[in-house]
Amino acid sequence: MPGVLIVEDDKELREMLKLSLLRKNYTVFEAENGKAAITHFKPQITDLVVTDLIMPEEDGLKVVIKLKEIKPSLKIIAISGGGKVGPGSYLNLAKALGADAIYSKPFSINELISKIEQLMDTEQHN
Amino acid sequence: MKRKLEISDENEYLKFLTKEKDISDQIINHSRSMITIINRDYIYEKVNSTFCNAHQLVLDTILGKSLGDFWGHDTFQNVIKRNVDICFSGKTVQYEATFITPTLGKRHFEVVFRPLTIEPGKITHLLAETFDIDELKNSKQAVIQKEEELRKFESNLPIGFLRCNPEGKILHANRAFLAIADCKDEQSITEMNLKNFYLDAELFELQMDQLTESHTRNFGMVNLKNSAGKEIPCRISGFLAVNGSGSPAYIDFAVEDCSRELMLENRLLQAQKLETIGSLAGGIAHDFNNILATISGYSEMLHDDLPKNSDMSEKVGKIQMAVKKAQSITNQILTFSRHVEQEKVLINVAEVLKETIGFVKSSIPSNIVLKSRITKMNVDVLADPTQLFRVFLNLMTNAIQSMEENGGVLTVGIDVVEREFVQHELNKDIVADEYALLMFKDTGEGMDPSLIGRIFEPFFTTREVGKGTGLGLSVIHGIITEMEGEIVVSSKKEKGSVFSVYLPVSKTYSDVTTKKGSRNKILFITGNKYESRILSLALESAGYELIFVSDGKNFARVMNNISERADLVIYMSDSKQIKPEDLAGIFRSENIVTPCILITDPMQDVSEEKLLNSGIINQQLTKPVSLKEIRNAIQELLR
Repeated sequence: MPGVLIVEDDKELREMLKLSLLRKNYTVFEAENGKAAITHFKPQITDLVVTDLIMPEEDGLKVVIKLKEIKPSLKIIAISGGGKVGPGSYLNLAKALGADAIYSKPFSINELISKIEQLMDTEQHN
Repeated sequence: MKRKLEISDENEYLKFLTKEKDISDQIINHSRSMITIINRDYIYEKVNSTFCNAHQLVLDTILGKSLGDFWGHDTFQNVIKRNVDICFSGKTVQYEATFITPTLGKRHFEVVFRPLTIEPGKITHLLAETFDIDELKNSKQAVIQKEEELRKFESNLPIGFLRCNPEGKILHANRAFLAIADCKDEQSITEMNLKNFYLDAELFELQMDQLTESHTRNFGMVNLKNSAGKEIPCRISGFLAVNGSGSPAYIDFAVEDCSRELMLENRLLQAQKLETIGSLAGGIAHDFNNILATISGYSEMLHDDLPKNSDMSEKVGKIQMAVKKAQSITNQILTFSRHVEQEKVLINVAEVLKETIGFVKSSIPSNIVLKSRITKMNVDVLADPTQLFRVFLNLMTNAIQSMEENGGVLTVGIDVVEREFVQHELNKDIVADEYALLMFKDTGEGMDPSLIGRIFEPFFTTREVGKGTGLGLSVIHGIITEMEGEIVVSSKKEKGSVFSVYLPVSKTYSDVTTKKGSRNKILFITGNKYESRILSLALESAGYELIFVSDGKNFARVMNNISERADLVIYMSDSKQIKPEDLAGIFRSENIVTPCILITDPMQDVSEEKLLNSGIINQQLTKPVSLKEIRNAIQELLR
């Protein structure tokens, strides 16, 4: 099954995402901030990344740029709860930097999962 | 003691007389005054050395000369003769004159003519004495001038100054104090006692006692009440002067009106507080969205695990609805706390106001009258018109809500005011010579004065619990602050409120306005013509051509017509005619590949996420969308 990396500093949310992906039989990796995600990234076994944007250490935008650089075929979904700059703006930036889909928190987990499935489908077709 | 003279021989007598004359001559000649004796023919019969020296003439050249010859015919006729004649009638004459002498130059003199009776019963001569009073006169004048300067200084002092007797009765007060006391002139105040202006009479007595003890005292802030009954916070200090015997003579007070200072200080505090709350709220909203995402995720999983249409799954559905509601609130908080620089265009604020009035008019309750006073038709400000629309709409909606029950009048107006006026009204760096002043006045419920300072705080509301989140005004405050403007409110309970919005008038054209684009066509799908008009005002000024459609048929027609085909589609989720799910269908069935921007409204319960992930949406923006956001999105997609 495809490997999904979850980058999220909020522990409960990370566990929720992990549980929902495990239910769909994905292989799940976790990172609690951008720095850990970049340092421990395993390109061979990671097909998709779900990353938060505002995090301590390196933020999610850095994750999008760095990981796409390491593995251009990697799919990235950015999720954000907004920040000082207002709802949505960081997400647009993430999209501009190469994120394949963006969701503002709170999002529908089912929609996120189906988006992941859709992205993984196109991946297999390519 | 009388001297007894014994005249034994004529020679002795002559000697004696000569000696006596010598003594009197010396007295006369050593006098600092010019002394002369003039006869009835206006001729100098005697002059002293002081006179000769002053005029640098020898005695013989003066004696026998007439006053007319000496002083000149005109001076004699016009000044001297008249006074001399009065003197010969038996009166002493005294007057001041200015004349030039070779040794002293031009100086002031006092001239005294005294009648002399040398022959019995007849005034035959007069004694003229001329004193140099120049220095005296000059120093007197200097004193008068100093006094005048002091008086002016005191009168123009911006700080109130007054003098009262030891009992507090006012003896004198300057203009600034008259203004504080609200008295017309000094006369009306001099009958009053300073004590009457104290809100707390006991405090006055206490301060008088303190002054008696220490003579100079700074009393700090004291609340005075003026003759109009208005309470004025003043900074007061006093100085007690004593007379020769050491008892109090009078007391001087300096009284500074601090109401404006306090008001500005208050407003600054308020602004700082709002900023703190803003960044705090932004952080909270972010964390809150994380929590909501967790709740939402688990409830969805739970929903999937539970049998469909079961009692339990219905309850989970309610959790999900609550999450949606909470999300819309966190979104608004994020808007309040946003301090990102907006992209501003030169926009006629009067036009935006007119559009907003048009929008409101269509839904105004029948018991409320809307009056618009738009005296200025062209007032350009640098602003994001969509934000302006939000501000005006929100202020008008608030006003209407405050009059919903009893009806009333909503007056909306725009005017232009000078910087001096603004400087006085606002605690801000003045950035423009003129400001647009927009007024929203209602005759509704009004507010308690204690609440006015808090209404721009997020979550503050005067409405009953459950009606509104109280975020509106805090968001407005954030937007106006971004525009370097200011919003102030005055309100009276049961009378109504006035919200005044100040925006700096701009005379320079922004880069955006002058840069006419390639006239790319943008197609708007929207259900709200007023709001999209506002957006279009800005986009048109940025060089885009705009087409509006409200239903699917027209949309398909426009997109199929090559000459009309738009380069970009903006879909606003408030469109009733084309539902989000229909849009994807039209795109697919008509083979439309035009880039599309989706603008969603977090307050509306429309699910756009399917549309969002259907592949036709290139960019998604959430209302309130700023001009910068939409322009960035358009530019990126049309690149």
